[in-house]
Amino acid sequence: MKGKLEPSERQTLIEQGKNLKEGLVALEEDLLKLNDELQREAQCIPNMTHPDVPIGGEDCSTIRKTVGSAPKFSFPVKDHLQLGKELDLFDFDAAAEVSGSKFYYLKNEAVLLEMALLNWTLSEVMKRGFTPLTTPEIVRSSVVEKCGFQPRANNTQVYSIDNSDQCLIGTAEIPVGGLHMDSILAESTLPLKYVAFSHCFRTEAGAAGTATRGLYRVHQFSKIEMFIFCRPEESDYYHDELIKIEEDMFSSLGLHFKTLDMASEDLGAPAYRKFDVEAWMPGLERFGEISSASNCTDYQSRRLGIRYRPSEALVPGPKKSKGNLAPPQFVHTLNATACAVPRMIICLLENYQQEDGSVLIPEPLRPFMGGRNIITRKSS
Amino acid sequence: MDLACYPNKTTFKTLKLASTSTSSSSIFVFPSLHKTKTLTIHSHKFPFPRLTKALSTSPTAVQTSPATTNNILQDQGGKPQWKASIDFKWIKDNKETVATNIKNRNSDADLEHILHLYDKLFILQKEVERVRGERNVVAKKMKGKLEPSERQTLIEQGKNLKEGLVALEEDLLKLNDELQREAQCIPNMTHPDVPIGGEDCSTIRKTVGSAPKFSFPVKDHLQLGKELDLFDFDAAAEVSGSKFYYLKNEAVLLEMALLNWTLSEVMKRGFTPLTTPEIVRSSVVEKCGFQPRANNTQVYSIDNSDQCLIGTAEIPVGGLHMDSILAESTLPLKYVAFSHCFRTEAGAAGTATRGLYRVHQFSKIEMFIFCRPEESDYYHDELIKIEEDMFSSLGLHFKTLDMASEDLGAPAYRKFDVEAWMPGLERFGEISSASNCTDYQSRRLGIRYRPSEALVPGPKKSKGNLAPPQFVHTLNATACAVPRMIICLLENYQQEDGSVLIPEPLRPFMGGRNIITRKSS
Repeated sequence: MKGKLEPSERQTLIEQGKNLKEGLVALEEDLLKLNDELQREAQCIPNMTHPDVPIGGEDCSTIRKTVGSAPKFSFPVKDHLQLGKELDLFDFDAAAEVSGSKFYYLKNEAVLLEMALLNWTLSEVMKRGFTPLTTPEIVRSSVVEKCGFQPRANNTQVYSIDNSDQCLIGTAEIPVGGLHMDSILAESTLPLKYVAFSHCFRTEAGAAGTATRGLYRVHQFSKIEMFIFCRPEESDYYHDELIKIEEDMFSSLGLHFKTLDMASEDLGAPAYRKFDVEAWMPGLERFGEISSASNCTDYQSRRLGIRYRPSEALVPGPKKSKGNLAPPQFVHTLNATACAVPRMIICLLENYQQEDGSVLIPEPLRPFMGGRNIITRKSS
Repeated sequence: MDLACYPNKTTFKTLKLASTSTSSSSIFVFPSLHKTKTLTIHSHKFPFPRLTKALSTSPTAVQTSPATTNNILQDQGGKPQWKASIDFKWIKDNKETVATNIKNRNSDADLEHILHLYDKLFILQKEVERVRGERNVVAKKMKGKLEPSERQTLIEQGKNLKEGLVALEEDLLKLNDELQREAQCIPNMTHPDVPIGGEDCSTIRKTVGSAPKFSFPVKDHLQLGKELDLFDFDAAAEVSGSKFYYLKNEAVLLEMALLNWTLSEVMKRGFTPLTTPEIVRSSVVEKCGFQPRANNTQVYSIDNSDQCLIGTAEIPVGGLHMDSILAESTLPLKYVAFSHCFRTEAGAAGTATRGLYRVHQFSKIEMFIFCRPEESDYYHDELIKIEEDMFSSLGLHFKTLDMASEDLGAPAYRKFDVEAWMPGLERFGEISSASNCTDYQSRRLGIRYRPSEALVPGPKKSKGNLAPPQFVHTLNATACAVPRMIICLLENYQQEDGSVLIPEPLRPFMGGRNIITRKSS
């Protein structure tokens, strides 16, 4: 149309142009819709799976390690609820009035125990080179989704805030993952290792049955979470490091536990591999999960947009320039529970109960409880 | 070295008082209507009609009925009704004093209207009783032997009376609801020593220390935090929104140290430690004097639920004993509670919002006392003294204010605020608030105690000669609001080289660290 044309030629061209334009608009709309649909569907594809992960349901999970043995009691064993009642450590009834079921107040030494667990755990993990963090507990729902959770599903675990696109976090994994969203990290900063303290909120919608008594399943709890951003070739190594830190800590506290390599149907979409630790809870007469360590490889980083720039030159030469650096790669992310306070309280109360109803405090926590070594009944 | 012990009896050394200076700006817990303040909790409007109960003629307590769980509410349903036990007779008998109080507090409670409704209610009740009486007479007559025509007449009379009664009872219910709704707006009475007027009328009760003198340019907490890698506001803005933050490195240790030390200090003074739910039913929020549904409310609500996030542990701690009668021998009940707090800060704008000064989420240690009415003034003094002792130990320069009547907020009979000097902000900033709510909250939460002395002297105590239950008094006071304390510590203890000294009492709780320095890269 830029050239010199007869009026009739021009008119034809104008019409052709118009038709093409309308056709293009329609095609571009289709493209957009198709892209959206592709994204939506593809986001459902779970992460790949580590070759050593057992295939099948939860009974296929294998035991990687067992530590300790169940304590033998010469008297009838009480569960944490009864111990808590006798020692005036919790109040579930008042919380049910004020907030609803599965809420609780901690009182007296239980508060000191929580503080001791938090302080000791933070200290232990910091010693291993992790940077301490506290995090927001209200986050945008998009960040929750990018980490692999579903705030809008039926029976979602996620609380949403009214009149807002925000949610409450169910784990510090979410705000810590979000810390570096849409970023390109320098390779020299990797691995980035964080230990984060937060409160966690879970609706526990759809959770029913016996696995819900007392502190075992609650809507709000304190948790210390470990999180690592690393290069892809190192994530298996750091997965082992994380589970070792957990195992060392739980051993120090004298717990009897087993570490499981979770089977493929139990992984959850983001995890390439997941190790759960289940500790013996004598009052409940079974093992209960106290932590989970997942290697999410690049599942979360592809959604959160977290990459790093490898520092070796593609083409060997004396000078590094943007031209011969490798393109940015997605990092791998890992997360692991260092301490989920209510489950730990169950373990400590039930395992360390004495015949007279008092509870011994394991040695590592004593300095963090002002030197106390036992929780006893209050004299009235 | 490990993070050190928290309540450890052997680690306390007394700290030499440092000194500092003054200025003023206030935010905190209680509802303030002052224009320049950014706090927007309005506590004296309750939009919900409440349930009914016959008016008591006792000069002291009005009977409470148990909170029902009928859901009557407009928008969502699922919200329980509740009623405040307001002493209408006392209000009527002390009309002038109440009216003056309402005026002094700049409240929009309409006393004339309320008393008018009360009188109307009284008349209507009498009418209801009269009609019931007539109906009983008719019913009694119907039991006797009657001519068919007489019987028919009585049946019709009975029917008319019944219909009339139903209509009257409906009116009674509506009137009661309206009376409740209006009366709940009446603010608490005011301590005689409280200065009357706006915030500039607040008086200084005490000043401690003086402003530190710096021989170098002073930095604010944001700059110090940036240089020492202590916070991240930018990432939090992406992940959550503005006024959110991550604490990092030594700031985390500082938060833990402040929490551990404060809990320990307050426990030493006989307070029972608690952690509390941070999600509570909205009715409990209202009963404490906050307004989750007002425009520009400070309260976050949970979607598809009648629940809210707490803005302070005062709410779940007050709720701990709701709808209860406590034994007098258990009083006073003194709690020290640790929780995270969430505030929308809707309507907050301006310079008093930078960095940690105004945030949506923070850790706080709160003190709460339930006591007998005659002791609340005493415990108010005790609470403020505990706060002053702690802030002095940390070497802060601060002043304690007796807040003026327009700044009290509906629940508080009297309120002391502490404002500490923040050199980087070049002014005083509120770091705590201690309120005596007398029976305002307890009349709404339904918390009473049974006095143990016999009314009639005699050898045996029986229910017959015990005094009736009385409403307790409640008090609440901030022991430590972590972000404001972090501002104070960073700004006051900064050194010329950009490092920050840690005050002595906190050092054992920071693994012996005595200084925060720049990280070597």
